[in-house]
Amino acid sequence: MPFISQFHRQSDYNYFSSATPIVIDNGASYFRIGWAGENDPRVIFRNIVQRPRHKSTGETVTIVGDHDPALLKYFDCTRSGPRSAFDSNVVYQFEIMEYILDFGFDRLGANGSQIDHPILITECVCNPVQSRSKMAELLFETYGVPSVAFGVDAAFSYKYNQRRGICNKDGLAICPGFTTTHVIPFIDGEPVYKGCCRTNIGGYHVTDYLKQLLSLKYPHHMARFTWEKVEDLKMEHCYIAPDYASEARLFQKGTKEAEDKTRCWQLPWVPPPVEEPPSEEEIARKAAIKERQGQRLREMAEAKRSSRINELENQLRGMEFLLQQLEQVEEDEIPSFLKDTGYVSKQEIESSLVKVTQSLRKAKGEPKAEQTEVEEKSDSSMNEKFPLVNIPDNMLTPEQLKEKKRQLFLKTTSDGRQRAKQKRQEEELERERRNQLDEEKRLENPELYLEQMHIKYKELSEKVEQRKRLKTNGNHSNGNNVSGGVGRGERLNAAQRERMRLLTTAAFDRGKGEDTFGAKDEDWQLYKLMSKDNDDDDDDGLDEDEVELAHVSSRLQEIDPTFAPKPDAGPSQPAPEVPRLRPLTKEDFQILIGVERFRCPEILFHPNLVGIDQAGLDEMTGVSMRRLSPKDQDLQERLTSSILLTGGSCLYPGLSERLEAGVRMIRPSGSPIKVVRALDPVLDAWRGASTYAAALQFPRQTFSRMDYYEKGEDWLRRYQFCYTL
Amino acid sequence: MEPEVVRAELVLPTHLSFKRMQMYEKYPKGQARGRHWKHLKQILQAENFQNYPPDEPNYVNIESPPSMHPCKRICDITGFEAPYSDPRTNLRYAGADVFKLVRSLPNEYVQRYLALRNAAVVLK
Repeated sequence: MPFISQFHRQSDYNYFSSATPIVIDNGASYFRIGWAGENDPRVIFRNIVQRPRHKSTGETVTIVGDHDPALLKYFDCTRSGPRSAFDSNVVYQFEIMEYILDFGFDRLGANGSQIDHPILITECVCNPVQSRSKMAELLFETYGVPSVAFGVDAAFSYKYNQRRGICNKDGLAICPGFTTTHVIPFIDGEPVYKGCCRTNIGGYHVTDYLKQLLSLKYPHHMARFTWEKVEDLKMEHCYIAPDYASEARLFQKGTKEAEDKTRCWQLPWVPPPVEEPPSEEEIARKAAIKERQGQRLREMAEAKRSSRINELENQLRGMEFLLQQLEQVEEDEIPSFLKDTGYVSKQEIESSLVKVTQSLRKAKGEPKAEQTEVEEKSDSSMNEKFPLVNIPDNMLTPEQLKEKKRQLFLKTTSDGRQRAKQKRQEEELERERRNQLDEEKRLENPELYLEQMHIKYKELSEKVEQRKRLKTNGNHSNGNNVSGGVGRGERLNAAQRERMRLLTTAAFDRGKGEDTFGAKDEDWQLYKLMSKDNDDDDDDGLDEDEVELAHVSSRLQEIDPTFAPKPDAGPSQPAPEVPRLRPLTKEDFQILIGVERFRCPEILFHPNLVGIDQAGLDEMTGVSMRRLSPKDQDLQERLTSSILLTGGSCLYPGLSERLEAGVRMIRPSGSPIKVVRALDPVLDAWRGASTYAAALQFPRQTFSRMDYYEKGEDWLRRYQFCYTL
Repeated sequence: MEPEVVRAELVLPTHLSFKRMQMYEKYPKGQARGRHWKHLKQILQAENFQNYPPDEPNYVNIESPPSMHPCKRICDITGFEAPYSDPRTNLRYAGADVFKLVRSLPNEYVQRYLALRNAAVVLK
């Protein structure tokens, strides 16, 4: 991993004299700060600031750089994401820059009243003077820095490698960075910005492209593709294909080679527990338990029944005894005799006797037929049973009036029962008659009858189905609403939508022209349609069509052996339901990265692929040399024989080979081409800057606060770091 | 603050001794401050590069020209070479099986694929 943050607080700040410069490599992705003359920066962190809210106290805090994500659980980061001070490769947000410098100096161990060290800070090529002056102002005014120098990171890296013999004093520095890619020609060890060229593409775009492609390819795992994770994937797996087209063809054909090149990222996945079919013993054991339970229930029921029978028999005996006694009692003494038994008259005792006998019969499980007999019997004795019904009210005592009411009630209920029975019988007869008719028809012409039945079945089933469809959802066949956004209209089912339409038309129709509503009887049906419970009125029970359908299909099954009724289990269930029911497998949690491995970094050579209409890396070298001196072949040869690759995005395997091939194509044949990679493409810029800051001539390159205010903006514009010592 | 947060010194202190002017003095609370940083485009406009000689390098004129190579057409979905493009969605595709996928994509995804190469329909 080339990018590792280190932000332990340094403790030796006070050991450095105030003449020792502080060196800052202010890159768009990483911020590196350390002491001049040292080989490595002391503090490295991502150049980002977050300002989340502390969850328990609610205060907004500032967090600089990348920290252990586990610690961020105490903060609410939903309101603000990580922010950068850079727009492209230019610093524009100096409030964020200040937080970053604060953190950098703090971790370097600064503890005095100001930063009393000269500062060498990197900037982009041809930094706009506004950004440069704001940075100088920030350093002078806020931190009290005595003097400042600005340099270009790629130039420092080239000089560092030149001193180690990696590249010559004439050459090209190619620096694919985080947001931009630069090509800077060097003549006699000095960068020539006139021949420089910049394409706005870099590691940021590669990561973003990979992130987008993966989340489009695996929409279910979108949340997994965080920026940091995708950055890791990019650094670990991406490479530059020697020839994009042929590499892609390998994958298209699905060759063995391509399979080997495909990387697989297995997301955490726990297989669902496998349900084993229960063993014989298990089944037997379960059956035994069930049997035992059933037995117990049966016993309980039996006990209950026998106790009830016992009770009823006791009651019966008691009542019979009471009646026997009543025979012997005088007519006048009956009320006083019955006072403590709870009954009022002899009739009452008799009727309850009948009831008890009935329920006893029921309890003993004797056939019901007798009961109906009893009913009929009681019917015949209706008039005797309800003697008070036909007597006018004024001839009765209040006691008897009450009795009459009761009798009336009993009479009406028994009448109702009688009528229902009659109706049932009539229906039975009717059905039989119809069946008979049917049968006759069938016998008359079996084929025609069968055909008619089939037609009828088809019609009915269609009708029922349509109703069901309307009820569930009108547009189930539209596949788009499975994945796309569900609009407001789609949430209502067809019946509800129709109701809404009716309501709106009714609301807007008022007062327009002649009102003829109500002239026809059908008009009033509208309210029935509009009423809210219209759409669920036939939820309970089957409606007529369904009953008819059931009848027809059973009849068809009887007479036609080839007939098979359509499966009733929701024909409106769409096909996409099926894959959801498929159990998720290990493969569903795998992220395969094949073509993406070289497709994403390819944008460095073809920025067109992500819609940036600028020259790619190989073309840029040609552009740069053309800008420098289109005629001088000798110089161009010297330049191409020392091409240095530096910057974070040149770490892809295969980049230098590809670049060499690309440069060869734009150069005359036989010209010398040498592409080398910097010793450490990431840290060399800081190291180069560190050696420059430690050199004796460095103080001459810096400018102080006085200079800054006296010499003016035009001078600052032309300020340039001198790289030849 | 939780002890582990304090131990990691995660939060930047509001007062730092080495600063002449503290953050809270410079940017007092409650004042709108988000908008006063010029973006790069505005910075470049304010620089008035057109007033300087064209052979003097500046941020704008060191930019690379458009590519002279013919535009590479690759399948938006698979990344293979794409000989075809779908007139309905404007997506480029590699073959018949990808075409099926292209036609089954909901519009949201089509636009996201197009946005990858800056060709999406942007409604303003």
